[in-house]
Amino acid sequence: MKEIRVGTASAKSACRKIGTLRIGTLPDGSAMEIPVVIIRGKQPGPVLWLNGCVHGNEYCGTFIIHELLARLKPASLQGTVVALPVLNITAFQKGQRMSPFEGFAGGDLNRNFPGDANGTLTQQMAHAIYAPLKKQATHLVDFHTAMTEDVRWALFAAVGGKIGAESERLARAFGYSSTLPAPPTILGGSAMMTAAADGIAALIVECGGKGPAFTPEAVKDGGERLMNVLRALGMVKGKPRDYGKLNYFSNFAWVHATKGGLFQRSVACGERIEPGSVLGQFFDLHGRPNGDARAPKGGIVLAIHPGPMIGTGETLVHIGLDPREV
Amino acid sequence: MKTIEIGSARGEASKRVDGMLKVADLPDGQPMAIPVTIIQGATDGPVLWLHGCVHGNEYCGAYIIQTFLRALEPSQLRGSVVALPFLNLTASQRNQRMSPFEGYNVGDLNRCFPGNAAGGLTDQIGHVVWTELKRHATHLVDFHTALTPDTHWSLIAGHDGKVRGEGLGMARAFGYSPCLPTPPGTLTGSAMMAAGAAGIPSLIIEAGGIGSAFSPETVQEGAARLRNVARQLGMLEEQVADHGKLTLLSNFAWCKSAHGGMFKPAVRCGQPIKKGAVIGAMYNTHGEKVATERAAATGVVLAVNPGPLLPQGDILVHIGLDPRTETRAAE
Repeated sequence: MKEIRVGTASAKSACRKIGTLRIGTLPDGSAMEIPVVIIRGKQPGPVLWLNGCVHGNEYCGTFIIHELLARLKPASLQGTVVALPVLNITAFQKGQRMSPFEGFAGGDLNRNFPGDANGTLTQQMAHAIYAPLKKQATHLVDFHTAMTEDVRWALFAAVGGKIGAESERLARAFGYSSTLPAPPTILGGSAMMTAAADGIAALIVECGGKGPAFTPEAVKDGGERLMNVLRALGMVKGKPRDYGKLNYFSNFAWVHATKGGLFQRSVACGERIEPGSVLGQFFDLHGRPNGDARAPKGGIVLAIHPGPMIGTGETLVHIGLDPREV
Repeated sequence: MKTIEIGSARGEASKRVDGMLKVADLPDGQPMAIPVTIIQGATDGPVLWLHGCVHGNEYCGAYIIQTFLRALEPSQLRGSVVALPFLNLTASQRNQRMSPFEGYNVGDLNRCFPGNAAGGLTDQIGHVVWTELKRHATHLVDFHTALTPDTHWSLIAGHDGKVRGEGLGMARAFGYSPCLPTPPGTLTGSAMMAAGAAGIPSLIIEAGGIGSAFSPETVQEGAARLRNVARQLGMLEEQVADHGKLTLLSNFAWCKSAHGGMFKPAVRCGQPIKKGAVIGAMYNTHGEKVATERAAATGVVLAVNPGPLLPQGDILVHIGLDPRTETRAAE
């Protein structure tokens, strides 16, 4: 079989290999390296590429990827899993979204694919990651979180044709009810949309919240759903579970806070809301009620700010629009 | 009736008044001011001082205090409640423990009491707060959090006599079972121990975790428990609820990690634990197990680090030592 190589990890036959991929240089001259795990089966098949912590503090996905890796054995695998559980390693270390070494406004790694070998730090990181991905991956699952532990939804690259259909297959196999078929006009620069444009079926999973805001149950369940993706792709034996109909959205709406203060949410992720529904309550520093936050549009709550303090312009709520069962 | 005046808040009988207390200047010269609420009752009585967010990202206590205040009817109160829900406000704004304006290694406000008018920023904040606290307070409840939503325990100033006796009464009225009567010489510089040394019975409540890691239920229940403390002090003519006996601790121990990595805890707050028992496991970024972490002492789990990432030397688990059910009947 043809070699699959990412950084120092190289797999030519059935094996589990770990290694590192150099994605930049730190200011002291030492290497900025990220972990790579390759699990290759005996038989040729899909190359399923897994990305975690594109945003450094979205740890839940790293744990889900680890959960899958702990369950997978080369002997019972068809094809290859390439896992990069921590893409934005310096942001990961600091518990923040973007790299602390990124000095420019372009620090969102998931807006900088396919990257630029002569760009800013984050653009160069994206380039180092995307080059082996583009060359070798047939399918991509990219793990993200929102803000609270009850977040569960997914987006697939709805680019039409074979790649669009294959991306939808990933979404149905993962099976989160709330799913956005993402039109090619949105999320430019994301690994998902970039990969889809290059003929790689792609899915984003949003599970849990940033930092420690996720549960062991979400990790375990996420690992099982990811295994179901492997079943659907024929990479492991077993009939894929059918999670039933999904709620598809036409798009999503980001709602930013137009005032700051103490904020206590009153809706949960997955809850259906109408235009004008109360989402939570603001209080001033003395604890006096300072107005309700209301939904500007109806739909399903995909993400909501957990408080306890919110600043002007922070994301208050993220709404999936026009849910319909498909 | 004596008027309590703190910052721009000037108390009035049977009223709630809100104001701001200037604790320092910001670098641009604007005042660093923190919220103060004074509720004076119809008659004289104890002055129950409440403060929260001594550590800026420990928001649960501020929510408990404010929920308690909203339910309080001033005309039914005997004595006064003074509340400063956000002591370290610039740290709260930044969702961090210490003030972002503190440049020295003395930034833990709860190690700076009674403060110093000519010290570093946090020393000076401590001095301003302490001056008012010492002048007015007869009892103190100071709200903190640990790291996870299931944190529920308390500490009292263990100074002999009235401070310990009334402190235990407050702890029983709040009613979180594990309670450390803190011996003088421990937690020096905390508001609780400074107040205890000044003869003010003092209680620290540890409820919930940092940031958003606390539940609305903990806030609602905490406010009800705080109201029960006011009853216990004779400030409300209501029956004191009995939360049962306390589990008294002799001291606490920190279990620190000899490894950095991704930590998966295997214990929960409140559970008994034996020295050497597994408290969790450390993984590297490839997902391989690096170490099994074990308890450094026997006792009860007070706080757990949820991870997911820890540098070497971070605290994994906080253990209360020698837990024993108190022998005297709860009041």
